[in-house]
Amino acid sequence: MWLLMSANYMSSVELKDVAKRYGEISAVDNVDLSVKPGEIFGLLGPNGSGKSTTLKMLLGLVQPDMGSVEVLGINVEKDPIAVKRQVGYVPESPRLYEFLTGIEYLDFIGDIYGVRTEEKRERINEYLKALELKGREGDMISSYSEGMKQKVALISAFIHRPRLLILDEPLSGLDPRSARIVKDLLHELKAQGVTTLMSTHILEIAQALCGRIAIMYQGRLLALGTMDELRQRASMPGSDLEDIFLKLTGTGDIKAVVEELLK
Amino acid sequence: MNWKNVAHLIRVDMKSGRLLRGRRLTKYRESRLFTYLLYGGALTLGLAVGAIAGFIYNGISNVTDPQLMSLFHKGLLDLFLSLPTLVLIYSMVFTMMQQIQRSGVKLSVQAPYWLPITWEEHTLASILANLLGFLLVSIIFIGSAIIVLSIFIGSVAYAALTFFAMLASAFMASAITELFRILQVRFIGAVYKSSGRAAVWVRFAGSLLFFIVFYIVYFFLTSGAGAIAFVQTVASAQGAMWFIPFVWLGMALTSFINGLPLQTLIFLTLSLLFILSLFYAAVILNRRLGLYEPPAITVSRGVYAPRTGFLGKLGFSTVEAALIRKDLKAFTRRRELMYIFVLPIVILIMPLVQSLGATGASMPTGASLPLFALVFLMPGALIAMSMGNLIIGEEGAAMWRIYSAPISAKSLVKSKYFFIVFFSALVTTVTGIIGAAAFHPSVRAILIGSTESFLLMFALGAVSLTNGIKGADFTELPRPRMMRPLWGLINLIACFVVGIAILIPFIPYALSFVPFVSTRPTIDLYQAVVISAVIAVVIALVAYRMALRNARELLTKAEM
Repeated sequence: MWLLMSANYMSSVELKDVAKRYGEISAVDNVDLSVKPGEIFGLLGPNGSGKSTTLKMLLGLVQPDMGSVEVLGINVEKDPIAVKRQVGYVPESPRLYEFLTGIEYLDFIGDIYGVRTEEKRERINEYLKALELKGREGDMISSYSEGMKQKVALISAFIHRPRLLILDEPLSGLDPRSARIVKDLLHELKAQGVTTLMSTHILEIAQALCGRIAIMYQGRLLALGTMDELRQRASMPGSDLEDIFLKLTGTGDIKAVVEELLK
Repeated sequence: MNWKNVAHLIRVDMKSGRLLRGRRLTKYRESRLFTYLLYGGALTLGLAVGAIAGFIYNGISNVTDPQLMSLFHKGLLDLFLSLPTLVLIYSMVFTMMQQIQRSGVKLSVQAPYWLPITWEEHTLASILANLLGFLLVSIIFIGSAIIVLSIFIGSVAYAALTFFAMLASAFMASAITELFRILQVRFIGAVYKSSGRAAVWVRFAGSLLFFIVFYIVYFFLTSGAGAIAFVQTVASAQGAMWFIPFVWLGMALTSFINGLPLQTLIFLTLSLLFILSLFYAAVILNRRLGLYEPPAITVSRGVYAPRTGFLGKLGFSTVEAALIRKDLKAFTRRRELMYIFVLPIVILIMPLVQSLGATGASMPTGASLPLFALVFLMPGALIAMSMGNLIIGEEGAAMWRIYSAPISAKSLVKSKYFFIVFFSALVTTVTGIIGAAAFHPSVRAILIGSTESFLLMFALGAVSLTNGIKGADFTELPRPRMMRPLWGLINLIACFVVGIAILIPFIPYALSFVPFVSTRPTIDLYQAVVISAVIAVVIALVAYRMALRNARELLTKAEM
């Protein structure tokens, strides 16, 4: 059971007027964003839209040029370590220490987050069994398939029972059973008050999992809301997220592109 | 055999060197002129050296006794005779070193099996590509020199045959290296992918053993007395070893110079058959194992028991202890990090082989103290310098874990610094014990040597860690970079300056060992130790604070 202390903050993630520039390029442009505790929130956008920079700012890895970032009620710039302690993070295509065995890696992660030895052992075993890694935990990570590495990365995000999960393409490479387990787990955690902020390019997953969705484009927040609110915003009643996404990001000229390629 | 395919593959292999040189892969431009200039330069230089040697030979022959001249002439022909075997040996050393250096790159230029290219073409291209560069340059240089010289001594045909034999020897060496490379992928690759505690130590000990054997052979062959004795042995004992295929080219030359055309032809044919058999063996192995993916072998499993361990008792937090344990595994399991242990091995073997192995005699007493100082001071200092350089960059693409975990700058620097000092101390202790056993220094020399060695470790460890954080390069493809070249250079200079600063109080004493310098030590050795300690401590403290500042900056400017 994921035991949580009562939250003394209104939003798990609070970005106020945040901007970040890299020279001439505006990576994040005056973004305001608030994610409520216990919400599964989707951050979508084409490549280079500023999602990764936004996620990095949440962990204090990139300092914004202006605005403020608060995670779990803590100012990230002032105390990044306190934030990291309560966040579980899976980057897009996570690189693990391939010279460690699966169990050694998870043990290392447990130690980094200060999980007590007995709890650590118990949790690692539970996750290994659930994600069908039992029996391979003693093998070098270098011998794992991409899907197995993704499972290890996910376990390492869950192991310390964080209050906020920041997941970049969390289901990438997972077999259907494991993907379903992770999806169900995220739903269960939501019920227990754990917030999930996920970024994905698989829009069906975002549509199925996320309560609210934000669409970023060229550093700006184009749209934010529930599926119904997004449909309204795009004036596309009954449409799915893919059509809405393509319309809002101005990349809807797919048919013309395909026709051009077939010439 | 489609020769165009072979040529294309050779060009691809040559271009893979760009990855080694660490050039930017965008907007890449390369002048071919320099490559051709290198071979042209070797040819021109070889012709010039050969001509000069020929004129000298002519000059000597005009004024020297004919009997002596005939001995000199025979000596020259003996030298020609030993060239193919010498080329074989240094080609093998060179191509194998090249393979070690390019092991990571080789993975990224793996055979594109879906293309219409045969394994014969792949294998031939790989063997020929290995010969390009320094190896071919040196053969062109030596070959052109001996051909021009042979005009003066009247043995042009013999020199031409020698040149051909040298090329054949180099090909032979490269084919052997290719065979080893494929076998290495199969067997060592499997060991590297194996798991379990025993496997870790098999890998570690195996790698160290490889380097020890490699460098003993290398220094034995390249150290002055050993090399001369070796050439003499090769020239005189070839006949006695006729049954070894590697000397058949030399035998062909011997037969040729002795006017035995049939034997020459037989040995040449046998040599060519042997080269062909090596080539086809490599082709067969490549066909079977060229795309081999070693399976993960579990050597021993054992029950893994997480624990805080001894480090906790030493006052390290759980986070710091976890980082230290992780680094310990990294440096004993990752091939590219294990190479760091080559440094102390080289430093240890070089003087030991030179003093004992090559000459077979023990070291004169006067010369043993500087060698002992070398063995005692250098390994730990170099390990501290290189480890500090790499220990942040070695995190590679997995650095996201450090960035995103609750690891403070203080914990990061403390754990990494402890690890550097711990490993350097361990290495110094081992090399010091071997050095003491080999060179029999006084107790005072051991005491001062160990103190200075530790001072160097503390100071250089802190300085290189500071630079290592600043210059860390987390790029992993095609192989782990770990350190930006500019910062590597800065670190080298900084460590050199710091090392000199710490050892400066001993300079008057060290001067007394230099021949023809009459300066006697004007400072008591123990006073020198105290001054040196003060300098080292100040440097270590300042560098440690700088490392903390750099680490804070690193953790807030993630480059994932």
